[in-house]
Amino acid sequence: MRRSLIGRTWPNAIAVVLFVFFIFPVYWMIATAFKQDSDVISRTPVFLPLNATLEHFDKAVHAENFWTYVSNSLIVTVGAVLGSLVIATLAAFAIARMRFRGRKGFVLVVMAAQMAPWEVMIIAAYLIVRDNDMLNSLVPLTAFYLMMVLPFTIWTLRGFIAAVPKELEESAMVDGCTRTQAFLKVIFPLLAPGLMSTSLFGFITAWNEFPLVNILNKKPDVQTLPLWLSSFQTNFGTDWGATMAASTLFAVPILILFVFLQRKAVGGLTDGAVKG
Amino acid sequence: MKRQLIAAVGVAAMVVGLAACGSDGKKNDAGSGSSSAAGAKNYSGKTLTVWLMDGSAPKGWTDSVKSEFETTYPGAKVDFQIQKWNGIGAKVTTALSEGSVDVLEIGNTQTAGYAASGGLLDITKDKDALGGADWAANQNESTVLEGKQYAAPWWVSNRVVAYNKDLWTKAGIAAPPKTLDEFYADLDKLKATPGVADPIYMPGQEWYTYFGLLTTEGGKLAKKDGDKWVGGLSTPEAQKAFDTYKKLQSYSATGPKDKDEATPQQKDVFGKGDIGSIIGLGWELPDEKTMAKDKIGFFPLPGKTADKASSVFLGGSNLAVAQASKNSDMAKDFLKIALNDKNEGLVAAAGSIPNKAALNSQVAGDFAKAALPAAQNGAITPNTPTWTNVENEPNPVKDFLTSALTGDYAAAAKKADDEIAKRMNQKQ
Amino acid sequence: MAVHSERVQTQSPGSGKAAVASTDEIVASGAGRTPKSGRPAGGPRVPARLTPYLLLLPAVAATVLLLGWPLLKTILVSFQNLNKRQLIQHLTEWNGFENYTEQLGSADFWRITGRTVVFTVVNVVLIMVLGTLVGLLLNRLGKKMRLTLSIALILAWAMPVVAATTVFTWLFDQQFGVVNWFLDKLGWHSMLHYNWTSTQYSTFFVIILLIVWGSIPFVAFNMYAGLTTIPKELYEAARMDGAGSFRVFTSVIVPIMKPFFLATTFLEVIWVFKAFTQVYLINKGGPEDLTRTLPVHAFLEGFGAQRFGAGSAIAVLTIVMLATLMAYYFRIILKQEDEL
Repeated sequence: MRRSLIGRTWPNAIAVVLFVFFIFPVYWMIATAFKQDSDVISRTPVFLPLNATLEHFDKAVHAENFWTYVSNSLIVTVGAVLGSLVIATLAAFAIARMRFRGRKGFVLVVMAAQMAPWEVMIIAAYLIVRDNDMLNSLVPLTAFYLMMVLPFTIWTLRGFIAAVPKELEESAMVDGCTRTQAFLKVIFPLLAPGLMSTSLFGFITAWNEFPLVNILNKKPDVQTLPLWLSSFQTNFGTDWGATMAASTLFAVPILILFVFLQRKAVGGLTDGAVKG
Repeated sequence: MKRQLIAAVGVAAMVVGLAACGSDGKKNDAGSGSSSAAGAKNYSGKTLTVWLMDGSAPKGWTDSVKSEFETTYPGAKVDFQIQKWNGIGAKVTTALSEGSVDVLEIGNTQTAGYAASGGLLDITKDKDALGGADWAANQNESTVLEGKQYAAPWWVSNRVVAYNKDLWTKAGIAAPPKTLDEFYADLDKLKATPGVADPIYMPGQEWYTYFGLLTTEGGKLAKKDGDKWVGGLSTPEAQKAFDTYKKLQSYSATGPKDKDEATPQQKDVFGKGDIGSIIGLGWELPDEKTMAKDKIGFFPLPGKTADKASSVFLGGSNLAVAQASKNSDMAKDFLKIALNDKNEGLVAAAGSIPNKAALNSQVAGDFAKAALPAAQNGAITPNTPTWTNVENEPNPVKDFLTSALTGDYAAAAKKADDEIAKRMNQKQ
Repeated sequence: MAVHSERVQTQSPGSGKAAVASTDEIVASGAGRTPKSGRPAGGPRVPARLTPYLLLLPAVAATVLLLGWPLLKTILVSFQNLNKRQLIQHLTEWNGFENYTEQLGSADFWRITGRTVVFTVVNVVLIMVLGTLVGLLLNRLGKKMRLTLSIALILAWAMPVVAATTVFTWLFDQQFGVVNWFLDKLGWHSMLHYNWTSTQYSTFFVIILLIVWGSIPFVAFNMYAGLTTIPKELYEAARMDGAGSFRVFTSVIVPIMKPFFLATTFLEVIWVFKAFTQVYLINKGGPEDLTRTLPVHAFLEGFGAQRFGAGSAIAVLTIVMLATLMAYYFRIILKQEDEL
């Protein structure tokens, strides 16, 4: 069945329009980061930063405590993601593969937990942390981030586990594996994409969190990058160039992770359909 | 941060000049110490945490204060933590509840609110030791609540007109205006000049300028009626002030009526070079690279007659000791050092108005020199704990300006008055 | 983020259906699965009955400690008068249902609630329809074009929300915005200095565009991943029966992808309903509070005004509202769980 010329062209035409639509704001962020101040705010838009400058990046990177923030952000984010992956895998396996009393209730809790309005529960979280003398520490912060992503992680992993045909697992057990071994040898490898994509979600969530760290951790040595990102806004307005440079840098780890995971988790994107 | 640029040269000069006074200052401190057993003990291991707002402390000030303090308290450390503006309200409140901050900078319109909530230490007894007898009366107003002193004035600053000298020359204007009518005439001339986008750039929600005009007319944003607060925008004075505001704003074709001076930053707009003038603070100016300093002139916003300029909003900062501070004696001594004549002199040199009239002569920079006379008839918002509620977003005064500029005055004023009253009468 | 497809084709042969089940977090292992029982129980040391509980223990503990506790505290605070003064001095002042009666008795609260529901519906419909279309388009594009579009989608997805919102405010700036400049160049001169944040609808337009822009990639990728698992034979059979594109979509794709639609819609409803950053930063709920949604309301009343009791009451009400909206989904889940 050959499609007509028009039939083959319009999807590409639409794709080009969509490409521009989706990439332009991203491009604008990056381009602005390189612009001279006078081009940043301009009555005629400057589309190409021809006389590019690195001063905004310079300012962003040389902000006080920058590297402390970077390492804290990494510790907290990676900690929360790994922790939630471990806890979620155990729970997801139970609810996907086992039947027991209270299972339905747990699934409901997991669903409902995704609705938690963290933005407004922050003062309660703060009071708890304060009254237990745990302010200015990365531990409660990591724990709360873990909780913010845990329900989604359980939910998604459960879907992945359920998708693995039980026969595979059973045949492994027929071959003499214990259930734990069957899980580790059969299911776990098949979970890789699920683990990757949920960790991406977790990473983005924890990496971006601002309001909680802002009131829990008031000492610079336990603060994270979102505080740095917002530091280029003052009462008298926003330093656009520096904010955009900071945003660009801020997005880099997520992009790297994305590219890395793209092979494993999003692998189908480039060639999946062709193979089918 | 920006403000220092303006007077960077001035500061450098002052630092050199003041090196000599430094020792005098220290001697005074040692002599007047009420609570300070300084010098006698070793304070190693003690740290005083001081919160300053981003962009507030002049260059050189923190270093000067730090070294002086650490000499007085051998072994002790001052930890200056620069606070960002984003999410600051809840951050200060929670910090005051923890005792994680010893000394903090608080905006002068916010001080009464924190004093009433029990967060700030009563320093009435220390006022004299801090030099309080000489504090400018209009600055000290905001630090006192019900007769008690909860903070010490640090600096204030007020808005003046900054103008692009090249454009004004091009428009054929020889000298800055002395009255509002002259100013309007100048703006008309600028409007007719090619290459001028706006004779004056003025967003609709620049409520500080409106506040100045309101004070000039004798009006108030809120008044106490019995034991209740009532909004003051539905008054003839407020309407007269608004008429002036509207007339000025009408010269700003590009100034968005629903935005304040921070979005976009008016310094960036002014820096484009096609804006005749703005009304702003010393650090709301383009940097040297964008617009050379000598291209910018300043004058106070004129009044109706040449003998009196318009009144201004006297924004500024106070320094306070946290009630929950575990080092309150050290914190009080810190205030003594931070506010001594040498360090207040650095504030003046950086272009802000210091807390004592005697130091006004040290005020440096074209901006500050234009601002200083107008500051004498400056005023602040009602000095009462619930005022800060009004400044919370969405600020009803800002919304009032937008509504009144685009619609019916009486309705806008009524709505804002209701909201102001509601917020100021709120249970604490 | 469940973007996964290849695995199924390469590693679990003969189960085209299982692939889709991986996206269907809700309906999970739906009908047509292997029988429930008849499997030897786990390790010898732990009684089999206890195994699931042990596996759930960490998750339950974390949820109780890190979610249950703050939630309980939020509910407690919602019955208190907790402002600056009480917080700073560690005071507890109970005030009964005052925070609730204040909200429930205010016309503003109900206006905001209604607006939030409409706002959520509009966004979710747009996101689902457009996301599905983009997913279908991805499936139809050639390899190079697909990669190109995927990159743009990934970048949009990975951009931090704060940064995206900042960029959008600025693209739509009255004086310096690219959008107005572009519309003017297109010949729509009255738009040159159009103020996007001056009216309720134009502000919502910008907010919705921003949210839809940022949400489409998730839906599109999932849709596409699901599509790649549908065996070609199914399409061909349908075409042989004389079905047009639309028929193929409704009779082949929709039934297979139903779990995907349910799951994704569920997530999007939650995410959009709770969207705070985008709504708040574009215009702080203005003009005149006309774009205030419930999360923004809770934040401004609770955090902004430092009336934490009132804010917590709004938070609790928000949860109740959302749960009501979601009741339909909860019923589906319970039903599916019964079938498992």
